[in-house]
Amino acid sequence: MLLLAASAAAVINTGTDAEADLPYWEVVENGVSLRLVQRLPDQTRGFFQARGFSIADSELIAQSCVFQTVFKNISPPSDPGVIEYSLDEWVVHAAGAQRRVKTREDWNKEWAVRRPPQAAQLAFEWSLIPTRQVYRPGDYNWGLTLYNLAPGKPFDLDVVWRHGGERHSTRLKGVVCAPDVHVSPATQ
Amino acid sequence: MKTLIRVSIRCTILASWLVLCAAQAAGYETAQTLSPLPKPFAAPDFTLQGEDGKTYRLSDYRGKVVVLNFWATWCPPCRYEMPSMERAHKKVQGEQIVLLAINVGESDDKVFEFTGQYPVTFPLLLDLDGAIIRKYPVIGLPTTFVIDPHGVVTHRAIGSREWDDERMLAPLRRLLKP
Repeated sequence: MLLLAASAAAVINTGTDAEADLPYWEVVENGVSLRLVQRLPDQTRGFFQARGFSIADSELIAQSCVFQTVFKNISPPSDPGVIEYSLDEWVVHAAGAQRRVKTREDWNKEWAVRRPPQAAQLAFEWSLIPTRQVYRPGDYNWGLTLYNLAPGKPFDLDVVWRHGGERHSTRLKGVVCAPDVHVSPATQ
Repeated sequence: MKTLIRVSIRCTILASWLVLCAAQAAGYETAQTLSPLPKPFAAPDFTLQGEDGKTYRLSDYRGKVVVLNFWATWCPPCRYEMPSMERAHKKVQGEQIVLLAINVGESDDKVFEFTGQYPVTFPLLLDLDGAIIRKYPVIGLPTTFVIDPHGVVTHRAIGSREWDDERMLAPLRRLLKP
């Protein structure tokens, strides 16, 4: 595990996620833990095609820079705190420009036009990390975040949350979207 | 024979340790907390078909404590907590505590297939069109509510828990005390 940087009291780690065997970026600060784990486009294609999305729609999702994301309230019983966040406050810095995280609400607009099956839409909605959430001690969500960048693109991410009403933020630097690797039997 | 038993025990301990290490490394370990809601609310009633073909109505459980879980087969934390829910279900038999798990948006075939890997004996209900989950303040899976004997939602857990842990069961039992 490589210690990358410390902003305020935040500890930022990166390394290889033990289960996914893919790179992760993690913020750990008083009461909060956030981990982003790369997700290969092929994993995303497979997952959403199995939920009923067409090849074209699953390709659209797979090409959107997807991370498995775990956001936890890890405040101890001795110092319990309420953690809140809104993805609308997070900022993606890539290629000299700023953009927002693509949320459930943004995707709902896509699906209103593309009209995937209802079961597929439901699975998509619930597989994304909530746009806004309030965590009491021990609470956590595990879901996808999508950054609307091409596979392999690097970016920095400003993560914002509130702990007991107080605003905190830190920047995850050098996060990289998973490359679009096609593994063939010959290369395995 | 004794050597075989010793090897078997060592393998079992090693396997358990590896599973625990993998879970901890991946950040799956959970805190056994059940937060009281700042504003308890009346549980929206519903009638749903179960994966077993039976019909279940929430209000039929009035007088009991209901642990109401929203989940999906593709959701990893939902899968992690399912065995502990089954153990909890067995542990509280004979008490006025029931577990109901509402699957969101998947077919009975998909849920049936899931029970091949995760056998459970408490009701798995099917919210095929996601209409029931929208009646509850759920914004991520899994989310579990505790409903008291009067039909009031009193506690909530976001993310998985070890439901058979005594720290989780104690608040449920307290709700049964007059």
